[in-house]
Amino acid sequence: MEHIELFFKSIFIDNMVFSVFLGMCSYLAVSKKVATAVGLGAAVIFVLAITVPLNWLLDQYLLQPGALSWLGAEYADYDLSFLSFIMFIATIATMVQLVEIVVEKFSPSLYNSLGIFLPLIAVNCAILGGSLFMQSREIETLGLAFNYGVSSGIGWFLAILAIAAIREKIRYSNVPAPLRGLGITFIITGLMGIGFLSFGGMLTGGDEEEKPATETAINVNELETEKAKELADNTKIIE
Amino acid sequence: MGLKEKLHSFKEKNRNKKWIPAFNAIHTFLYLPNETTHNGTHIKAADDLKRTMNTVIMAMVPCLLFGMFNAGYQHHLALGEIQAVSGGFLSAEFWTLDNFMVGFWKIIPLVIVSYGVGLLIEFIFAIINKHEVEEGYLVTGMLVPLIVPIDIPLWMLAVAVIFGVVIGKEVFGGTGMNILNPALTIRAFLFFAYPTWMSGDKVWVHGADPRVQDLAAGAQPDAISGETILGSLAQNNTSMIDTTADIWNAFLGFIPGSIGETSTLLILLGGLFLIFSKIGSWRIMLSSVMGAIVMGLIFNFVADSGIISESSKFYGLMNTTFWHHLLIGGFAFGTVFMATDPVTASQTNKGKWIYGFLVGFISIMIRVFNPAYPEGVMLAILLMNVFAPTIDHYVIQGNVKKRMKRLKVKTA
Repeated sequence: MEHIELFFKSIFIDNMVFSVFLGMCSYLAVSKKVATAVGLGAAVIFVLAITVPLNWLLDQYLLQPGALSWLGAEYADYDLSFLSFIMFIATIATMVQLVEIVVEKFSPSLYNSLGIFLPLIAVNCAILGGSLFMQSREIETLGLAFNYGVSSGIGWFLAILAIAAIREKIRYSNVPAPLRGLGITFIITGLMGIGFLSFGGMLTGGDEEEKPATETAINVNELETEKAKELADNTKIIE
Repeated sequence: MGLKEKLHSFKEKNRNKKWIPAFNAIHTFLYLPNETTHNGTHIKAADDLKRTMNTVIMAMVPCLLFGMFNAGYQHHLALGEIQAVSGGFLSAEFWTLDNFMVGFWKIIPLVIVSYGVGLLIEFIFAIINKHEVEEGYLVTGMLVPLIVPIDIPLWMLAVAVIFGVVIGKEVFGGTGMNILNPALTIRAFLFFAYPTWMSGDKVWVHGADPRVQDLAAGAQPDAISGETILGSLAQNNTSMIDTTADIWNAFLGFIPGSIGETSTLLILLGGLFLIFSKIGSWRIMLSSVMGAIVMGLIFNFVADSGIISESSKFYGLMNTTFWHHLLIGGFAFGTVFMATDPVTASQTNKGKWIYGFLVGFISIMIRVFNPAYPEGVMLAILLMNVFAPTIDHYVIQGNVKKRMKRLKVKTA
């Protein structure tokens, strides 16, 4: 159940493109043809599926506060999490190199059509974002981390697939000249975002709406206690 | 010289003027233009864009008229001035002039604003882009008043129409080029920009808001406020579906809701008319109903087998009988008039089956699982509009592959 929920959530609700706006550069640039978009999307799924679990292992056994305790008791209070960015990027860059070699070997045509964007996956924010979200959301097991990587990759894949099909469809549309190209793509992305909003807040049971209310209530209480304290202080001074 | 010739010669004289598309639009609307295509290949057919659009509008007129009666009926009912209907579809309590006039004066301004603002933008864009004014907005302008709550302020409607027509349609080059259904874009804009006017339990009946204040001030709670069935079910409250909005009332349409969406019976008639005149796609309508039934059955199974407890917040909607889902809310209206939009739906036959099925499936899913949006049809159709080109692409690729194989077998 946990797996299904995470899977569904990271594809639709926390979609990489439409809810956190990550990986936009390659999403906008490589979405002119469906075939290319599918290739890039598959590469992103693959890279995410490998890097997120790898980074999970790194995070769990190297970076987290107390992660080094398997070395011995004297290492238990080491906190290396400031190294997260460097370590994650290193893993990602290595994996992307690997993917590049594999793609070049087995599908030269895809390799040529992806062009510069294949090596650029290394700096695709969706990939690093996946790892960082994995860290900040404290995903518990390796299996869940793998699930998270695959499903957020699928979410990104669906987004680029849909926009590529739309862009192929509107190729002969009479778009006003100033909007042609990137402009209309941005507008389409916004409209697609409206479609994806249908999943926003799903499975929450309205909790999201209630939370801010309680927070403000707490704040109000705090304010009131502070005011009361001030008042008390003032009265003391007066006395 | 008759008026027709006069108009024609006027048109010839001013051929190069900037505003001529605007004149042409009115001219075509009044008369069939007196000219034919001169060169190139052309298809002779009876159903041009104007006739197609008019057919859809004719299918919607019963819903509009019913909406006017229903607006007045719900208003009087909420104020406790009349009794609930008892005698079936032709009840005397419902079809009164009094009911009609209340609805008429509320709804006609919505129609005028929707058409006025939308057509104004169409005209401006046609003049700037130097193309003919297209008839596409005729249907959108009629759909928009039917899918908004009755008390929506007119300026909000105007803003939403401007957004929907400019961003949803004109930036893609006008009618036939858009990717999202413009009417639904307008409704989604309203929904996300002014949520308090578009959802909740007070907006669906004219005058319900002051009535609630009366109740709060201590008036006799002898009448319900204007809550939709889905709204009450989403709060796990099944009393409404058992009493005021039983199956029969929901089918005939004596329930609160958006103006045109309540009467499933009249929508069904409109749908049959569209299928009969071959304007609407029966594939989409049928598969969408199938999708909704499948999802409804799954939820019923989950609720019956006790996987989900009765206190769960999803229980009320899950336990609703699967075919009941088809009658309440905007499902019928969306399926018949929105999902079948030939521009934004899938274009291939196989694609239409997939598209329709997913529309029904996802709309019931959003209804049940998403407490923020009690009604899922609008967003389900918008989502599937986004994916329709993808579905088409793969259907076409599949056909291409099949034919290539056939060709290979033949030539080998």
